[in-house]
Amino acid sequence: MKVEELLSQTGEWLRGAGPESDVVISSRVRLARNLRRFPFLTVASLPVRAEIERFVRPRLEDGKFPRRLNYWSLTEVSPIERTLLVERHLISRELAQQEGERGVAVAGDESVSIMVNEEDHLRLQVIRSGFQLEEAFEELDRMDSSLEGSLNYAFHPKFGYLTACPTNAGTGLRISVMIHLPAVVLAKQMDKVLQSLQSVRVAVRGFYGEGTQPVGDFYQVSNQVTLGKSERDIVAEMRKVVPEILRFERSWRQKLLEDRPRQLEDKVWRAYGLLKNARRMSSEEATDLLSSLRLGIHLNILTKFPARTVNELFLFTQPGHLQKAERKILDADERDLVRAEFIRRRLEGL
Amino acid sequence: MNCERCQKNHATLHLTAMETDQKPREVHLCEECARQTGVTLKFNFPVSELLGAVVEPKAPSRAGQSRCPECGITYSEFKAKARLGCANDYEIFRAELLRLFEKVHGATSHAGKTPCTVEASIRKENELIRLKRDLESVVKSEDFEKAAQIRDRIRSIEIELNP
Repeated sequence: MKVEELLSQTGEWLRGAGPESDVVISSRVRLARNLRRFPFLTVASLPVRAEIERFVRPRLEDGKFPRRLNYWSLTEVSPIERTLLVERHLISRELAQQEGERGVAVAGDESVSIMVNEEDHLRLQVIRSGFQLEEAFEELDRMDSSLEGSLNYAFHPKFGYLTACPTNAGTGLRISVMIHLPAVVLAKQMDKVLQSLQSVRVAVRGFYGEGTQPVGDFYQVSNQVTLGKSERDIVAEMRKVVPEILRFERSWRQKLLEDRPRQLEDKVWRAYGLLKNARRMSSEEATDLLSSLRLGIHLNILTKFPARTVNELFLFTQPGHLQKAERKILDADERDLVRAEFIRRRLEGL
Repeated sequence: MNCERCQKNHATLHLTAMETDQKPREVHLCEECARQTGVTLKFNFPVSELLGAVVEPKAPSRAGQSRCPECGITYSEFKAKARLGCANDYEIFRAELLRLFEKVHGATSHAGKTPCTVEASIRKENELIRLKRDLESVVKSEDFEKAAQIRDRIRSIEIELNP
């Protein structure tokens, strides 16, 4: 499978389905792992990085793994394709940008990816549509158990799995739930969410689009504590915390709908009008408008509009995707023209 | 992740900036740039307090100089990069890391999964202890045939544990 073949699919996590999908976009779980016989990447020279990749790659590709994985060495992948992989959440921005031998193993439906030579030797990830933490974690754990037979992990009886950054040590488990909070933001209540999560050591990050610009009303909620709790306890805690935010968002959606229905309708239909007619559109504007469209769908203001189309547009209007589809490098201005045209075409008849 | 200002040092400060339009923006800075840009004033809490949550600022000066014999990094270098160089650092900087774990995780001991390979070696070490005890008793009872068998088993386990 080639990277460009990703363009013919959207990936499991963007199906727009799954439990709680009116608010939750995706559930992502990852494990940080290092090999005992190599130094951490902080001090690893380029030849050592190459050796790590040579050692790990066949073990990821061999048939014993629960899922068949395609391995892409990033030194053999074009910069645009690397951006595309970042936009798919299959690799991190850091892995795309850094030097030396590194790569990613991906399952066909994109729900599984294993980064090699990022901050740690291995970063295993499972991503699911909607709120599915247990399911995602169980698959991740199975992957990890099957790998540890052939890889000798750096493990300490007191500190657990050893990671380059001690904030990941112990379980090495990071859970990130991507949520859409347009009503909370509209009601200027985001401060409350941020404060309450901070008190339970849960971090909130924005979901980035182009460059480092913030993207509308999307947030990633993730655990900060990785040591001193079992993996399943960490999952269970996030399983308790996230629904509180969902309830908060839903109650604000209801309240806004009751208090100022015309304003909400106007916001949604304006977004629709702009997306359907604009001739130039930045990534940031597109994401803001699509966010309003998404809210409109879940409030039944837009009744015939498939949620899946909105999700696809989020992804396919990102810079890497646009350039890969056009098969050429485009500057920001050119991308804005192509983006607007792409959206108009996709919304024809809707 | 590198500092977004100097693009050189590792960003140890990750803030969510709440601008007037109420849209939070993430800011990633290194300690030095945070100081230079006066982040303290903008965000209403002192940088040192924030950094204290990530990296223990009052590590003993001697510890700052001790160097890991395997990867060669010092505690000061770890503090600057917020990244360790190898698994051995967890022993070399144990005292400092314990303080850091207490701050970041509110705990200092792993309570999760153990790799099957480690579990197997623990099982084998336990078996080794048992076999050595058995060996003593069969030698006492002068069952030399049995003793030879146990000795072979001990040798094979020792090779498995230290190949």
